[in-house]
Amino acid sequence: MTPIWQQSNSLAARFWENGIVEDCPVYDMHAHMGYHDSIYFKRCSPEAMVAHLRRIGVRRLVFSHDMALAGIMRNAEIVEICKQFPDILRMYVSINPHFQENIKEDLAMFDKWQPYAIGLKFLADYHKVPVTDKAYEYAWKFADERGIPVLNHTWGTSPFNGGKVMYEATRKYPNAKTFLGHCIFGEWDYAARCVNESSNVYLELTAVPGERNRIEQLVSAVGSKKILFGTDLPWFDEYQAVGGVLAAKISDEEKRDILYRNAQEIFGNDR
Amino acid sequence: MKDIFFFDSNVRVGFDNRHRGASVQELLDEMDLYGIDRALVRSMSTKCSGAVIGNQLVTDVIAADTTGRLDGVWCILPSQCDDMPCPDDFFDSMKKNNIRAITLEPFDHRYVPCRLTLGKILDAATERKIPVLLHAFQGMWSELYQFMKEFPDLTCIVNAGHKWGTDRNIRPLLENFANCSIELGGYWIPEGIADLAKLYGANRLLYGSNFPGYNQGSSVFQLKHSTLDGDSIALIAEKNLENLLKGADL
Repeated sequence: MTPIWQQSNSLAARFWENGIVEDCPVYDMHAHMGYHDSIYFKRCSPEAMVAHLRRIGVRRLVFSHDMALAGIMRNAEIVEICKQFPDILRMYVSINPHFQENIKEDLAMFDKWQPYAIGLKFLADYHKVPVTDKAYEYAWKFADERGIPVLNHTWGTSPFNGGKVMYEATRKYPNAKTFLGHCIFGEWDYAARCVNESSNVYLELTAVPGERNRIEQLVSAVGSKKILFGTDLPWFDEYQAVGGVLAAKISDEEKRDILYRNAQEIFGNDR
Repeated sequence: MKDIFFFDSNVRVGFDNRHRGASVQELLDEMDLYGIDRALVRSMSTKCSGAVIGNQLVTDVIAADTTGRLDGVWCILPSQCDDMPCPDDFFDSMKKNNIRAITLEPFDHRYVPCRLTLGKILDAATERKIPVLLHAFQGMWSELYQFMKEFPDLTCIVNAGHKWGTDRNIRPLLENFANCSIELGGYWIPEGIADLAKLYGANRLLYGSNFPGYNQGSSVFQLKHSTLDGDSIALIAEKNLENLLKGADL
């Protein structure tokens, strides 16, 4: 058998050889930025992250700054970071359910923050408030009325953003484009159910590429059109994660869906 | 022509009481698919079935391997009970069965990993430079540090993988224990492999996939595009492990 990296004209072979493939850009739909208390990040500044992204041809990185999620920075400051690299950086407006006034003030600015703000980010596991709690209601309704994305950190069995809670939320706010970050890791059947019973729910792959046979199972469960690529950068290396998609036993067309086509379908090519 | 040779230092075959795992044939098929040349193989059953049965399973795998691409790892136990032979006999038996390294599972096998329990066999392993895989300590840094203080000259391999990066814990090991190598299965820090190589030397790092939990494709791609030069990649991908195994006096 010829290794995938040597199979003529395959996407894997082209990435292996050059590290970048011009006609296969990458849309990384789940990232962060800035220092974090619990982990050493050498490359968490905008400059260092963008340098890493350009090597592999990431066309868009959509991130929520960790300091904004913590409530230490305001989202308006993150817009200014995006402006430093307007060709590549986009942001989720970080929603901290413990700061209700900030939520209202920031969402009132959402239109003025175009084209940088493309959706909202919920980090319920860390804020310890279920996404179905009233504290998220204003933000959910905002996203639902506009049909904009909400990237949720999700994880299997979590009482804040596990399968049961996310299923309830996706039924309650069907017009919001709900991205299930980490695919409700471990509750794979619940993740598939959320996608298959709604037209606006997508799986987002952060922490999944590299898990043996997992992408294959998810593609089989929901189809490649409902899966988005992400890395949690600066947590995970772009090459490791893209390598996980390239190494999956799915077609090159399905890999392209995941790496960029689905994101382009949602946002348009120039967002 | 193949540009990099890969020797995977973190592979398990078989199954345990909770996971189906992967067969030897599935391993070999995936090695072919992702361009992995050789693998250092442990038994997934060792944790739940015990060292004696696990070692026999590894012996059977290596004996049945007609490709010559697999090398085996045996698990040790405290020397005070009679389920393992004395160190010299144990190592002679390893050599006869093409077993190249050892490992331990103290937390599943219910003993304290220290000089009292393992002193005889690990002092002999240190003397003979036999590589000792310390995957059992994954995430248990306090226990690992204590263990390393008791066996500071051991030729050992520590896994760096965790979704919360491990630099704050692996760097002190690289700094303080010259015979400690870091195996990279699950180490996904952006360009972190290159950072470690520049700080401590590429000769301290080993390619590993953590198969069957992880596939081997994502990790070889990460290493290939780590920003390191070809010689450093070759060391990490294959040569460092080969040199460790060749250096063992079995």
